[in-house]
Amino acid sequence: MSAPLPSIRIAAFGALTAFGDESATLAALLDGRRALAPVAVLGRDGGDLVPLALCPGHGYDETVPPGWLAPLRALTARIPGEGWGSPRRPVFVTSSNFGVGSLYAFRRTGDAGHLDFGTPFRCVDWLAEQLGWGPNVTTFSHACVSAHLGLLQASRVLAANLADEALVFTFDFLSPFVAGGFHALKILNADLPTPYQDRATGSIGLGDGAGFVVLTRDRGDFSLVSQSLHNEMHHFTANQADGSGFDACLTPLLTATAGRRFWLKGHGTGTLEAGRLEAGVLARHFPGSPLVAWKGSLGHTLGSCGLVELAIAAAAIRNGRAPGTVGSTGPTFSPDVALEPFDLGAFDSVICTSNAFGGAHAALLLSHA
Amino acid sequence: MLERWITALHTDDPGLEEPAVTRDRFKDRFPKNATRRMTQLGMLVGSTLEPLALTENDTVVYASGYAETRAIEGYLDSFPGASPTLFQTSIHPSAVQQALIVRQQAVRQFFPLTGGAFLPAQALQVALLAETPRVIFCGGEERGTWLLENQSASDRAFAFALALSASSEGALARMTLAPDDRPEPSATDLHFTLPDFFDVLRGRRPFDGLVAPALRLTIAWL
Repeated sequence: MSAPLPSIRIAAFGALTAFGDESATLAALLDGRRALAPVAVLGRDGGDLVPLALCPGHGYDETVPPGWLAPLRALTARIPGEGWGSPRRPVFVTSSNFGVGSLYAFRRTGDAGHLDFGTPFRCVDWLAEQLGWGPNVTTFSHACVSAHLGLLQASRVLAANLADEALVFTFDFLSPFVAGGFHALKILNADLPTPYQDRATGSIGLGDGAGFVVLTRDRGDFSLVSQSLHNEMHHFTANQADGSGFDACLTPLLTATAGRRFWLKGHGTGTLEAGRLEAGVLARHFPGSPLVAWKGSLGHTLGSCGLVELAIAAAAIRNGRAPGTVGSTGPTFSPDVALEPFDLGAFDSVICTSNAFGGAHAALLLSHA
Repeated sequence: MLERWITALHTDDPGLEEPAVTRDRFKDRFPKNATRRMTQLGMLVGSTLEPLALTENDTVVYASGYAETRAIEGYLDSFPGASPTLFQTSIHPSAVQQALIVRQQAVRQFFPLTGGAFLPAQALQVALLAETPRVIFCGGEERGTWLLENQSASDRAFAFALALSASSEGALARMTLAPDDRPEPSATDLHFTLPDFFDVLRGRRPFDGLVAPALRLTIAWL
């Protein structure tokens, strides 16, 4: 067994969204802009228009090789250091989509070239080869909390001195496979998402997203002070109605937040019940801490959202100003929901949360080192 | 060196068994009617997990390279009228979630992994670094149909679940995972896949070898 996890530093971070890198994304969010735009859910095969936020250069209909490699290369060129994937410099890849859009394209077109990217490990092996990584690449897939698992395991490997530095890398690019699924569940529809807004019907948007952090024991101006997980296993697509799953995930962070002045970057997809529960539990635990969500602009970047939004939050802290909950208006589920940008001079930390299918919850406390 | 003791082990090796046969075999192992909605992998993993009497404070580590192949196949074939049920069932790590949701069994720490040549090594590192006194390591595959014909699915079904404890009390085996810098085969020659690991467990074979570059696994049965 390992000892209790010490604080782990972030030596570098970056993100990619439909707006560009984390700086461009932050600027767009501060301006209140939405990246979501209507796209036919089945791509070239048509279907209903749904709100998607696609990265420039990524075609929604998959190609051979996948069209998302080009925007990923721009992001990965910013990862500092060499020798990633060697024994002392492990890579932790997280995703919920991997190259599953290639499986969809194969089934539609019969082009076997798509199969080289269709299964998660073939996709990651190919990506590692493209990016020059060695074989020490561990891959987590736990739907929309995937990125948090990579952060936690990388932290444990560093704490056990099994690595000198660790790279956590995440990517999720949209395809008719995933958008078609959420559309079938009826939560991806023609409406734009309005996280934490108390309205009659809920809806989400989906977005491309990728990101990275380089974690170390002692270098960098941000710290992962505390990390927490909880899995309700109550229902595939619903939470315990009393919010106990959210409670169970947040409770371990209470000690770490004592004496800190923090804001809250919530999950906030735009679904009604989950949004109501999340906002309510956060307000009960942390009354007065402003709560924001950015999926009303960026869409839900799925398995990557935890890391993409962490990078944007870190950029916001450096910038001194946090975006509000873009796309939402009052009334909201909690008076603590911040609809407009606000200054961060009074804060020293942020709690970032993510949730996923199966009642999975993840949370972390990010602070200046 | 990371060390744990295997205190319980359950395996299922149905080989080429069709899902309908698996469903009939396990209909009494799950709550009434639950197996109608479960995948073959969900039933296999769930049946090996069940005797371990999971608690909320166990860490669960789950490994599968291909996961819910049949649900993915069915979901892809359901377009353009995409099936919501097959979509949610196809999402990794559905197999464990199917098994635990029917029992309403929460777990605090759940680490689902996927991978290829070194998946057992990577999952074991997660398991052996976990903070809880007991860790449950489970995994498996189900056999595909048209994805298998296209070399994108497992050619056999199997599942395992083992309990790893910090204490040697009542142990079946000692397991260690340690760095090993001795000369090794090139990474392209080295592999220790999930089926390889399953065969070691099922045969209760002692093991001492490289399972990933610079990483040695030992399993000594008592």
